[in-house]
Amino acid sequence: MTAGRRTVEIAIGILPIALLIALWHALAASGATPAAILPPPAAVFARLLQQFGNAQYWDNVAITLFRLFSGFSIAVVIGVSLGLAATGSRLIESLVRPLVRVLAPLPKVALYPAMILILGFDHASKITLVAADAVFPILLATYQGTMAVEPKLVWSARAAGTSQRMALFKVVLMAAMPSVLTGCRIGLIISCIVVFLAEMITSTEGLGYLLVRAGRNFETVDMFVPLISISILGLTLNAAFNMLRGYLLRGFPEEH
Amino acid sequence: MKRLSQIPGLPPLLACAGLLGVWEVAARIIGISGLPPAHEALRELPKILTDKESLLNILDSMRRMLIGFSLALIVAVPIGLMMGRARLVAAFFNPLLMIIYPVPKAALMPLIMLWLGVGDASKTLVIFLGVSLPVIYHAYQGARAVEEKMLWSAAAMGLGPAARLLRIVFPAALPEIMVGIRTGLVLALITMVTSEMIARKQGVGDLLFNALAMAQYETVYATIIIIGMLGFVIDAAFEKLRFRVVAWAEPTHDIAVGST
Repeated sequence: MTAGRRTVEIAIGILPIALLIALWHALAASGATPAAILPPPAAVFARLLQQFGNAQYWDNVAITLFRLFSGFSIAVVIGVSLGLAATGSRLIESLVRPLVRVLAPLPKVALYPAMILILGFDHASKITLVAADAVFPILLATYQGTMAVEPKLVWSARAAGTSQRMALFKVVLMAAMPSVLTGCRIGLIISCIVVFLAEMITSTEGLGYLLVRAGRNFETVDMFVPLISISILGLTLNAAFNMLRGYLLRGFPEEH
Repeated sequence: MKRLSQIPGLPPLLACAGLLGVWEVAARIIGISGLPPAHEALRELPKILTDKESLLNILDSMRRMLIGFSLALIVAVPIGLMMGRARLVAAFFNPLLMIIYPVPKAALMPLIMLWLGVGDASKTLVIFLGVSLPVIYHAYQGARAVEEKMLWSAAAMGLGPAARLLRIVFPAALPEIMVGIRTGLVLALITMVTSEMIARKQGVGDLLFNALAMAQYETVYATIIIIGMLGFVIDAAFEKLRFRVVAWAEPTHDIAVGST
Protein backbone atom coordinates (compact mmCIF):
# COMPACT_ATOMS: atom_id res chain seq x y z
CA MET A 1 0.00 0.00 0.00
CA THR A 2 1.37 3.40 -0.92
CA ALA A 3 1.76 6.16 1.65
CA GLY A 4 -0.73 8.42 -0.14
CA ARG A 5 -3.44 5.84 -0.10
CA ARG A 6 -2.78 5.16 3.55
CA THR A 7 -3.28 8.85 4.45
CA VAL A 8 -6.54 8.92 2.51
CA GLU A 9 -7.77 5.88 4.43
CA ILE A 10 -6.83 7.39 7.78
CA ALA A 11 -8.61 10.60 6.83
CA ILE A 12 -11.73 8.65 5.88
CA GLY A 13 -11.50 6.78 9.18
CA ILE A 14 -11.41 9.98 11.20
CA LEU A 15 -14.42 11.29 9.29
CA PRO A 16 -17.21 9.36 11.12
CA ILE A 17 -15.67 10.13 14.52
CA ALA A 18 -15.40 13.83 13.66
CA LEU A 19 -18.96 13.81 12.30
CA LEU A 20 -20.24 12.19 15.46
CA ILE A 21 -18.54 14.79 17.66
CA ALA A 22 -19.77 17.60 15.39
CA LEU A 23 -23.33 16.28 15.60
CA TRP A 24 -22.99 15.99 19.35
CA HIS A 25 -21.71 19.56 19.55
CA ALA A 26 -24.50 20.87 17.31
CA LEU A 27 -27.15 19.08 19.38
CA ALA A 28 -25.77 20.47 22.63
CA ALA A 29 -25.26 23.98 21.23
CA SER A 30 -28.71 24.22 19.64
CA GLY A 31 -30.31 23.94 23.06
CA ALA A 32 -32.63 21.13 21.91
CA THR A 33 -31.09 18.97 24.62
CA PRO A 34 -30.41 20.48 28.05
CA ALA A 35 -26.80 20.31 29.25
CA ALA A 36 -27.92 18.10 32.14
CA ILE A 37 -28.83 15.42 29.60
CA LEU A 38 -26.22 15.97 26.89
CA PRO A 39 -23.30 18.20 27.88
CA PRO A 40 -21.27 19.75 25.02
CA PRO A 41 -18.23 17.70 23.94
CA ALA A 42 -15.86 20.55 24.83
CA ALA A 43 -17.01 20.39 28.46
CA VAL A 44 -16.53 16.61 28.53
CA PHE A 45 -13.01 16.69 27.12
CA ALA A 46 -12.03 19.61 29.39
CA ARG A 47 -13.24 17.56 32.36
CA LEU A 48 -11.29 14.53 31.15
CA LEU A 49 -8.08 16.59 30.93
CA GLN A 50 -8.77 18.04 34.36
CA GLN A 51 -9.18 14.52 35.78
CA PHE A 52 -5.81 13.55 34.34
CA GLY A 53 -4.28 15.90 36.91
CA ASN A 54 -6.37 14.46 39.74
CA ALA A 55 -4.67 11.95 42.07
CA GLN A 56 -7.99 10.45 43.15
CA TYR A 57 -8.85 9.65 39.54
CA TRP A 58 -5.57 7.81 39.11
CA ASP A 59 -6.21 5.86 42.33
CA ASN A 60 -9.42 4.59 40.82
CA VAL A 61 -7.68 3.75 37.54
CA ALA A 62 -5.00 1.86 39.50
CA ILE A 63 -7.61 -0.22 41.33
CA THR A 64 -9.36 -1.06 38.07
CA LEU A 65 -6.02 -2.03 36.49
CA PHE A 66 -5.06 -4.17 39.49
CA ARG A 67 -8.32 -6.15 39.26
CA LEU A 68 -8.03 -6.37 35.50
CA PHE A 69 -4.52 -7.79 35.47
CA SER A 70 -5.04 -10.13 38.45
CA GLY A 71 -8.07 -11.68 36.74
CA PHE A 72 -6.41 -11.77 33.36
CA SER A 73 -3.23 -13.43 34.69
CA ILE A 74 -5.26 -16.15 36.42
CA ALA A 75 -7.19 -16.69 33.19
CA VAL A 76 -3.96 -16.99 31.15
CA VAL A 77 -2.42 -19.51 33.54
CA ILE A 78 -5.56 -21.67 33.78
CA GLY A 79 -6.55 -21.29 30.13
CA VAL A 80 -3.15 -22.10 28.62
CA SER A 81 -2.37 -25.00 30.95
CA LEU A 82 -5.82 -26.61 30.57
CA GLY A 83 -5.78 -26.13 26.80
CA LEU A 84 -2.32 -27.66 26.56
CA ALA A 85 -3.23 -30.50 28.91
CA ALA A 86 -6.34 -31.29 26.83
CA THR A 87 -4.14 -31.63 23.76
CA GLY A 88 -1.59 -33.72 25.60
CA SER A 89 -3.93 -36.18 27.25
CA ARG A 90 -7.05 -37.96 26.02
CA LEU A 91 -8.41 -38.31 29.54
CA ILE A 92 -8.16 -34.59 30.31
CA GLU A 93 -9.62 -33.78 26.92
CA SER A 94 -12.69 -35.91 27.58
CA LEU A 95 -13.12 -34.12 30.92
CA VAL A 96 -12.50 -30.57 29.71
CA ARG A 97 -14.52 -30.64 26.47
CA PRO A 98 -17.99 -31.27 27.95
CA LEU A 99 -17.29 -28.89 30.84
CA VAL A 100 -16.38 -26.13 28.40
CA ARG A 101 -19.39 -26.99 26.25
CA VAL A 102 -21.65 -26.35 29.25
CA LEU A 103 -19.81 -23.44 30.86
CA ALA A 104 -18.71 -21.38 27.84
CA PRO A 105 -22.18 -20.21 26.69
CA LEU A 106 -23.24 -19.49 30.28
CA PRO A 107 -23.35 -15.75 30.99
CA LYS A 108 -20.64 -15.56 33.65
CA VAL A 109 -22.01 -12.28 34.95
CA ALA A 110 -25.00 -14.27 36.23
CA LEU A 111 -22.58 -16.06 38.56
CA TYR A 112 -21.48 -12.74 40.00
CA PRO A 113 -24.06 -12.73 42.84
CA ALA A 114 -22.83 -16.19 43.84
CA MET A 115 -19.24 -14.94 43.82
CA ILE A 116 -20.25 -12.03 46.03
CA LEU A 117 -21.94 -14.43 48.46
CA ILE A 118 -18.90 -16.70 48.63
CA LEU A 119 -16.02 -14.23 48.28
CA GLY A 120 -17.47 -10.99 49.59
CA PHE A 121 -17.83 -7.56 48.01
CA ASP A 122 -14.13 -6.77 47.79
CA HIS A 123 -11.49 -7.47 45.12
CA ALA A 124 -11.77 -11.27 45.19
CA SER A 125 -15.25 -11.56 43.68
CA LYS A 126 -14.43 -9.11 40.88
CA ILE A 127 -11.13 -10.76 40.05
CA THR A 128 -12.86 -14.14 39.94
CA LEU A 129 -15.50 -12.79 37.55
CA VAL A 130 -12.83 -11.32 35.26
CA ALA A 131 -10.90 -14.60 35.28
CA ALA A 132 -14.07 -16.63 34.62
CA ASP A 133 -14.96 -14.50 31.60
CA ALA A 134 -11.45 -14.25 30.13
CA VAL A 135 -10.48 -17.91 30.56
CA PHE A 136 -12.66 -19.43 27.83
CA PRO A 137 -11.33 -17.63 24.75
CA ILE A 138 -7.78 -18.32 25.97
CA LEU A 139 -8.51 -21.97 26.69
CA LEU A 140 -10.23 -22.52 23.34
CA ALA A 141 -7.57 -20.73 21.33
CA THR A 142 -4.82 -22.72 23.07
CA TYR A 143 -6.65 -25.98 22.54
CA GLN A 144 -7.45 -25.34 18.89
CA GLY A 145 -3.96 -23.99 18.24
CA THR A 146 -2.11 -26.85 19.88
CA MET A 147 -4.35 -29.46 18.22
CA ALA A 148 -3.44 -28.01 14.82
CA VAL A 149 0.31 -28.30 15.36
CA GLU A 150 2.04 -30.44 12.73
CA PRO A 151 2.63 -33.90 14.32
CA LYS A 152 5.91 -34.18 12.39
CA LEU A 153 7.38 -31.45 14.62
CA VAL A 154 6.65 -33.52 17.71
CA TRP A 155 8.01 -36.69 16.10
CA SER A 156 11.27 -34.95 15.23
CA ALA A 157 11.63 -33.65 18.77
CA ARG A 158 10.84 -37.10 20.18
CA ALA A 159 13.34 -38.72 17.83
CA ALA A 160 15.93 -36.22 19.01
CA GLY A 161 15.41 -37.45 22.55
CA THR A 162 12.94 -34.95 24.01
CA SER A 163 10.54 -36.46 26.51
CA GLN A 164 6.81 -36.46 25.74
CA ARG A 165 6.14 -33.81 28.36
CA MET A 166 8.97 -31.52 27.32
CA ALA A 167 7.88 -31.81 23.68
CA LEU A 168 4.46 -30.54 24.73
CA PHE A 169 5.98 -27.41 26.26
CA LYS A 170 8.93 -26.82 23.97
CA VAL A 171 7.40 -27.76 20.63
CA VAL A 172 3.60 -27.82 20.72
CA LEU A 173 3.06 -24.72 22.85
CA MET A 174 5.69 -22.73 20.96
CA ALA A 175 4.32 -23.72 17.55
CA ALA A 176 0.81 -22.77 18.66
CA MET A 177 1.95 -19.40 20.03
CA PRO A 178 0.17 -17.22 17.40
CA SER A 179 -3.16 -18.84 18.21
CA VAL A 180 -2.52 -18.68 21.98
CA LEU A 181 -1.71 -14.98 21.78
CA THR A 182 -4.83 -14.27 19.73
CA GLY A 183 -6.86 -15.91 22.48
CA CYS A 184 -5.02 -13.84 25.08
CA ARG A 185 -5.77 -10.62 23.23
CA ILE A 186 -9.49 -11.40 23.14
CA GLY A 187 -9.25 -12.33 26.82
CA LEU A 188 -7.55 -9.03 27.65
CA ILE A 189 -10.26 -6.91 26.04
CA ILE A 190 -12.93 -9.05 27.72
CA SER A 191 -11.17 -8.48 31.07
CA CYS A 192 -11.24 -4.75 30.41
CA ILE A 193 -14.99 -4.84 29.77
CA VAL A 194 -15.88 -7.21 32.61
CA VAL A 195 -13.91 -5.40 35.32
CA PHE A 196 -15.75 -2.19 34.44
CA LEU A 197 -19.15 -3.92 34.58
CA ALA A 198 -18.38 -5.62 37.89
CA GLU A 199 -17.42 -2.26 39.35
CA MET A 200 -20.66 -0.80 38.08
CA ILE A 201 -22.82 -3.50 39.62
CA THR A 202 -21.31 -3.32 43.12
CA SER A 203 -18.26 -1.34 44.08
CA THR A 204 -16.99 1.59 46.05
CA GLU A 205 -13.96 2.32 43.89
CA GLY A 206 -12.64 1.96 40.36
CA LEU A 207 -13.61 3.43 36.99
CA GLY A 208 -16.97 1.63 36.86
CA TYR A 209 -17.86 3.05 40.25
CA LEU A 210 -17.01 6.57 39.07
CA LEU A 211 -19.63 6.19 36.33
CA VAL A 212 -22.31 4.90 38.68
CA ARG A 213 -21.59 7.62 41.26
CA ALA A 214 -21.81 10.34 38.61
CA GLY A 215 -25.07 8.81 37.39
CA ARG A 216 -26.57 8.87 40.87
CA ASN A 217 -25.70 12.54 41.27
CA PHE A 218 -26.89 13.41 37.74
CA GLU A 219 -23.44 14.76 36.89
CA THR A 220 -23.66 13.98 33.22
CA VAL A 221 -20.25 15.37 32.33
CA ASP A 222 -18.63 13.03 34.85
CA MET A 223 -20.50 10.09 33.38
CA PHE A 224 -18.71 10.51 30.05
CA VAL A 225 -15.25 10.63 31.63
CA PRO A 226 -15.05 6.97 32.78
CA LEU A 227 -16.55 5.79 29.48
CA ILE A 228 -13.91 7.62 27.46
CA SER A 229 -11.26 6.42 29.93
CA ILE A 230 -12.18 2.77 29.47
CA SER A 231 -12.11 3.20 25.69
CA ILE A 232 -8.61 4.74 25.86
CA LEU A 233 -7.52 2.03 28.30
CA GLY A 234 -8.76 -0.70 25.96
CA LEU A 235 -7.04 0.84 22.94
CA THR A 236 -3.78 1.26 24.88
CA LEU A 237 -3.84 -2.31 26.19
CA ASN A 238 -4.60 -3.60 22.71
CA ALA A 239 -1.72 -1.62 21.18
CA ALA A 240 0.68 -2.70 23.95
CA PHE A 241 -0.35 -6.30 23.48
CA ASN A 242 0.17 -6.09 19.72
CA MET A 243 3.71 -4.82 20.29
CA LEU A 244 4.40 -7.66 22.72
CA ARG A 245 2.91 -10.09 20.22
CA GLY A 246 5.09 -8.73 17.43
CA TYR A 247 8.13 -9.22 19.64
CA LEU A 248 7.20 -12.74 20.76
CA LEU A 249 6.31 -13.84 17.24
CA ARG A 250 9.31 -12.31 15.51
CA GLY A 251 10.34 -15.70 14.12
CA PHE A 252 6.93 -16.52 12.69
CA PRO A 253 5.86 -15.73 9.12
CA GLU A 254 3.66 -12.64 8.84
CA GLU A 255 -0.08 -13.28 9.18
CA HIS A 256 -3.02 -11.37 7.66
CA MET B 1 -14.86 -43.87 27.74
CA LYS B 2 -14.61 -43.41 24.00
CA ARG B 3 -17.93 -45.06 23.26
CA LEU B 4 -19.71 -43.17 26.01
CA SER B 5 -18.48 -39.83 24.74
CA GLN B 6 -19.87 -40.54 21.29
CA ILE B 7 -23.50 -40.63 22.43
CA PRO B 8 -24.74 -37.16 21.47
CA GLY B 9 -25.70 -34.99 24.38
CA LEU B 10 -24.38 -37.34 27.01
CA PRO B 11 -21.03 -35.67 27.82
CA PRO B 12 -22.55 -32.23 28.52
CA LEU B 13 -25.19 -33.92 30.66
CA LEU B 14 -22.51 -35.74 32.63
CA ALA B 15 -20.61 -32.47 32.96
CA CYS B 16 -23.73 -30.81 34.44
CA ALA B 17 -24.19 -33.68 36.87
CA GLY B 18 -20.52 -33.45 37.83
CA LEU B 19 -20.73 -29.73 38.44
CA LEU B 20 -23.84 -30.13 40.60
CA GLY B 21 -22.07 -32.89 42.53
CA VAL B 22 -19.00 -30.73 43.17
CA TRP B 23 -21.25 -27.88 44.25
CA GLU B 24 -23.19 -30.14 46.66
CA VAL B 25 -20.00 -31.45 48.27
CA ALA B 26 -18.37 -27.99 48.42
CA ALA B 27 -21.46 -26.49 50.05
CA ARG B 28 -21.47 -29.19 52.72
CA ILE B 29 -17.77 -28.70 53.45
CA ILE B 30 -17.77 -24.88 53.47
CA GLY B 31 -21.13 -24.69 55.24
CA ILE B 32 -21.91 -20.97 54.90
CA SER B 33 -25.41 -19.64 54.24
CA GLY B 34 -24.07 -17.88 51.14
CA LEU B 35 -23.53 -21.24 49.44
CA PRO B 36 -26.55 -23.49 49.94
CA PRO B 37 -26.26 -27.11 48.75
CA ALA B 38 -27.26 -27.80 45.14
CA HIS B 39 -30.42 -29.73 45.96
CA GLU B 40 -31.87 -26.80 47.89
CA ALA B 41 -31.35 -24.48 44.92
CA LEU B 42 -32.84 -27.07 42.56
CA ARG B 43 -35.89 -27.34 44.81
CA GLU B 44 -36.52 -23.62 44.23
CA LEU B 45 -36.58 -24.08 40.44
CA PRO B 46 -40.24 -25.16 40.02
CA LYS B 47 -41.30 -22.39 42.42
CA ILE B 48 -39.73 -19.71 40.21
CA LEU B 49 -40.86 -21.27 36.97
CA THR B 50 -44.50 -21.44 38.12
CA ASP B 51 -44.51 -18.02 39.75
CA LYS B 52 -46.36 -15.73 37.38
CA GLU B 53 -44.39 -12.58 38.10
CA SER B 54 -40.96 -14.18 37.75
CA LEU B 55 -42.07 -15.89 34.56
CA LEU B 56 -43.32 -12.60 33.14
CA ASN B 57 -39.99 -11.01 34.06
CA ILE B 58 -38.06 -13.72 32.25
CA LEU B 59 -40.32 -13.56 29.18
CA ASP B 60 -39.99 -9.77 29.14
CA SER B 61 -36.22 -10.10 29.11
CA MET B 62 -36.38 -12.65 26.29
CA ARG B 63 -38.60 -10.40 24.19
CA ARG B 64 -36.20 -7.46 24.51
CA MET B 65 -33.31 -9.72 23.69
CA LEU B 66 -35.04 -11.02 20.54
CA ILE B 67 -35.94 -7.54 19.27
CA GLY B 68 -32.47 -6.10 19.93
CA PHE B 69 -30.85 -9.13 18.38
CA SER B 70 -32.99 -9.06 15.20
CA LEU B 71 -32.43 -5.32 14.69
CA ALA B 72 -28.69 -5.85 15.11
CA LEU B 73 -28.66 -8.54 12.41
CA ILE B 74 -30.57 -6.34 9.96
CA VAL B 75 -28.07 -3.50 10.39
CA ALA B 76 -24.81 -5.33 11.06
CA VAL B 77 -24.79 -7.92 8.27
CA PRO B 78 -25.04 -5.41 5.35
CA ILE B 79 -22.44 -3.11 6.97
CA GLY B 80 -20.04 -6.00 7.50
CA LEU B 81 -20.48 -7.30 3.94
CA MET B 82 -19.93 -3.88 2.41
CA MET B 83 -16.85 -3.36 4.58
CA GLY B 84 -15.47 -6.64 3.32
CA ARG B 85 -15.95 -5.74 -0.36
CA ALA B 86 -15.14 -2.02 -0.43
CA ARG B 87 -11.88 -0.68 0.95
CA LEU B 88 -13.29 2.77 1.52
CA VAL B 89 -16.26 1.51 3.52
CA ALA B 90 -13.85 -0.51 5.67
CA ALA B 91 -11.60 2.52 6.16
CA PHE B 92 -14.67 4.54 7.13
CA PHE B 93 -15.96 2.20 9.82
CA ASN B 94 -12.83 0.53 11.23
CA PRO B 95 -11.48 3.29 13.53
CA LEU B 96 -14.96 4.02 14.87
CA LEU B 97 -15.50 0.34 15.69
CA MET B 98 -12.05 0.18 17.31
CA ILE B 99 -12.99 2.99 19.68
CA ILE B 100 -16.36 1.47 20.55
CA TYR B 101 -15.05 -2.07 20.99
CA PRO B 102 -13.50 -1.83 24.49
CA VAL B 103 -16.44 0.12 25.94
CA PRO B 104 -18.80 -2.24 27.77
CA LYS B 105 -22.17 -1.77 26.08
CA ALA B 106 -24.10 -2.38 29.28
CA ALA B 107 -22.10 0.47 30.85
CA LEU B 108 -23.89 2.86 28.51
CA MET B 109 -27.10 1.96 30.34
CA PRO B 110 -27.09 4.91 32.81
CA LEU B 111 -26.56 7.42 29.98
CA ILE B 112 -29.06 5.86 27.61
CA MET B 113 -31.58 5.70 30.44
CA LEU B 114 -31.15 9.44 30.85
CA TRP B 115 -32.05 9.94 27.19
CA LEU B 116 -34.66 7.28 26.54
CA GLY B 117 -36.03 6.53 29.99
CA VAL B 118 -35.94 3.27 31.90
CA GLY B 119 -38.29 1.44 29.56
CA ASP B 120 -37.82 -1.16 26.85
CA ALA B 121 -36.19 1.24 24.40
CA SER B 122 -32.97 1.69 26.41
CA LYS B 123 -32.50 -1.99 27.15
CA THR B 124 -33.22 -3.01 23.57
CA LEU B 125 -30.76 -0.40 22.29
CA VAL B 126 -28.02 -1.69 24.58
CA ILE B 127 -28.57 -5.27 23.42
CA PHE B 128 -28.57 -4.02 19.81
CA LEU B 129 -25.18 -2.36 20.34
CA GLY B 130 -23.72 -5.42 22.06
CA VAL B 131 -24.76 -7.83 19.31
CA SER B 132 -23.84 -5.59 16.36
CA LEU B 133 -20.06 -5.57 16.83
CA PRO B 134 -19.26 -9.30 16.59
CA VAL B 135 -21.73 -9.73 13.72
CA ILE B 136 -20.16 -6.82 11.79
CA TYR B 137 -16.70 -8.21 12.46
CA HIS B 138 -17.45 -11.73 11.25
CA ALA B 139 -19.49 -10.56 8.23
CA TYR B 140 -16.51 -8.36 7.35
CA GLN B 141 -14.05 -11.24 7.63
CA GLY B 142 -16.36 -13.54 5.68
CA ALA B 143 -16.92 -11.06 2.85
CA ARG B 144 -13.20 -10.32 2.61
CA ALA B 145 -12.40 -13.97 2.05
CA VAL B 146 -14.82 -14.43 -0.88
CA GLU B 147 -13.04 -15.75 -3.93
CA GLU B 148 -12.51 -12.97 -6.49
CA LYS B 149 -13.04 -15.31 -9.43
CA MET B 150 -16.64 -15.91 -8.44
CA LEU B 151 -17.26 -12.17 -8.40
CA TRP B 152 -15.60 -11.69 -11.77
CA SER B 153 -17.72 -14.46 -13.29
CA ALA B 154 -20.85 -12.95 -11.82
CA ALA B 155 -19.93 -9.52 -13.15
CA ALA B 156 -19.21 -11.01 -16.56
CA MET B 157 -22.66 -12.58 -16.53
CA GLY B 158 -24.16 -9.15 -15.98
CA LEU B 159 -24.91 -9.04 -12.23
CA GLY B 160 -24.83 -5.51 -10.78
CA PRO B 161 -22.94 -4.66 -7.56
CA ALA B 162 -26.03 -4.92 -5.33
CA ALA B 163 -27.04 -8.25 -6.84
CA ARG B 164 -23.47 -9.55 -6.47
CA LEU B 165 -23.49 -8.62 -2.80
CA LEU B 166 -26.80 -10.38 -2.24
CA ARG B 167 -26.32 -13.47 -4.43
CA ILE B 168 -22.59 -14.16 -4.25
CA VAL B 169 -20.97 -12.43 -1.27
CA PHE B 170 -23.76 -13.08 1.23
CA PRO B 171 -24.04 -16.85 0.70
CA ALA B 172 -20.25 -17.23 0.49
CA ALA B 173 -19.79 -15.35 3.76
CA LEU B 174 -22.70 -17.11 5.46
CA PRO B 175 -20.66 -19.68 7.43
CA GLU B 176 -18.54 -16.91 8.92
CA ILE B 177 -21.63 -14.77 9.56
CA MET B 178 -23.18 -17.67 11.43
CA VAL B 179 -20.13 -17.80 13.72
CA GLY B 180 -20.66 -14.10 14.42
CA ILE B 181 -24.34 -14.65 15.10
CA ARG B 182 -23.51 -17.39 17.57
CA THR B 183 -21.16 -15.10 19.47
CA GLY B 184 -23.83 -12.40 19.21
CA LEU B 185 -26.49 -14.66 20.72
CA VAL B 186 -24.40 -15.40 23.79
CA LEU B 187 -23.55 -11.72 24.00
CA ALA B 188 -27.20 -10.71 23.77
CA LEU B 189 -27.94 -12.85 26.81
CA ILE B 190 -24.93 -11.44 28.70
CA THR B 191 -25.76 -7.84 27.83
CA MET B 192 -29.39 -8.41 28.75
CA VAL B 193 -28.58 -9.77 32.21
CA THR B 194 -25.90 -7.13 32.87
CA SER B 195 -28.03 -4.19 31.78
CA GLU B 196 -30.81 -5.41 34.05
CA MET B 197 -28.35 -5.72 36.91
CA ILE B 198 -27.24 -2.13 36.38
CA ALA B 199 -30.67 -0.59 35.72
CA ARG B 200 -32.45 -2.73 38.34
CA LYS B 201 -35.99 -2.12 37.18
CA GLN B 202 -37.26 -5.44 35.86
CA GLY B 203 -36.08 -8.62 34.18
CA VAL B 204 -33.93 -11.56 35.19
CA GLY B 205 -30.96 -9.50 36.37
CA ASP B 206 -33.20 -7.54 38.71
CA LEU B 207 -34.76 -10.77 39.99
CA LEU B 208 -31.28 -11.97 40.85
CA PHE B 209 -30.25 -8.94 42.89
CA ASN B 210 -33.65 -8.64 44.59
CA ALA B 211 -33.25 -12.17 45.90
CA LEU B 212 -29.70 -11.31 46.97
CA ALA B 213 -30.88 -8.23 48.84
CA MET B 214 -33.57 -10.23 50.63
CA ALA B 215 -31.05 -12.97 51.54
CA GLN B 216 -33.04 -15.62 49.64
CA TYR B 217 -29.86 -17.40 48.64
CA GLU B 218 -31.57 -20.51 47.27
CA THR B 219 -33.53 -18.27 44.89
CA VAL B 220 -30.31 -16.54 43.82
CA TYR B 221 -28.75 -19.85 42.85
CA ALA B 222 -31.93 -21.15 41.22
CA THR B 223 -32.08 -18.01 39.06
CA ILE B 224 -28.45 -18.50 38.11
CA ILE B 225 -29.29 -22.05 37.02
CA ILE B 226 -32.16 -20.74 34.90
CA ILE B 227 -29.94 -18.18 33.16
CA GLY B 228 -27.28 -20.83 32.63
CA MET B 229 -29.78 -23.22 31.07
CA LEU B 230 -31.06 -20.40 28.89
CA GLY B 231 -27.53 -19.80 27.61
CA PHE B 232 -26.90 -23.45 26.96
CA VAL B 233 -30.25 -24.10 25.25
CA ILE B 234 -29.98 -21.02 23.00
CA ASP B 235 -26.45 -21.95 22.01
CA ALA B 236 -27.29 -25.61 21.34
CA ALA B 237 -30.45 -24.73 19.38
CA PHE B 238 -28.54 -22.29 17.21
CA GLU B 239 -25.82 -24.85 16.59
CA LYS B 240 -28.49 -27.23 15.22
CA LEU B 241 -29.84 -24.48 12.96
CA ARG B 242 -26.37 -23.48 11.82
CA PHE B 243 -25.58 -27.05 10.92
CA ARG B 244 -28.67 -27.21 8.71
CA VAL B 245 -28.12 -23.86 7.00
CA VAL B 246 -24.41 -24.14 6.31
CA ALA B 247 -23.92 -27.89 6.38
CA TRP B 248 -21.78 -27.55 3.24
CA ALA B 249 -19.14 -25.52 5.03
CA GLU B 250 -16.52 -26.88 7.35
CA PRO B 251 -17.33 -26.17 10.97
CA THR B 252 -14.82 -23.51 11.94
CA HIS B 253 -15.35 -23.00 15.64
CA ASP B 254 -16.35 -25.72 17.98
CA ILE B 255 -17.58 -23.57 20.81
CA ALA B 256 -18.79 -19.99 20.90
CA VAL B 257 -16.49 -17.48 22.51
CA GLY B 258 -18.63 -14.90 24.21
CA SER B 259 -17.46 -11.55 25.42
CA THR B 260 -19.27 -8.77 27.11
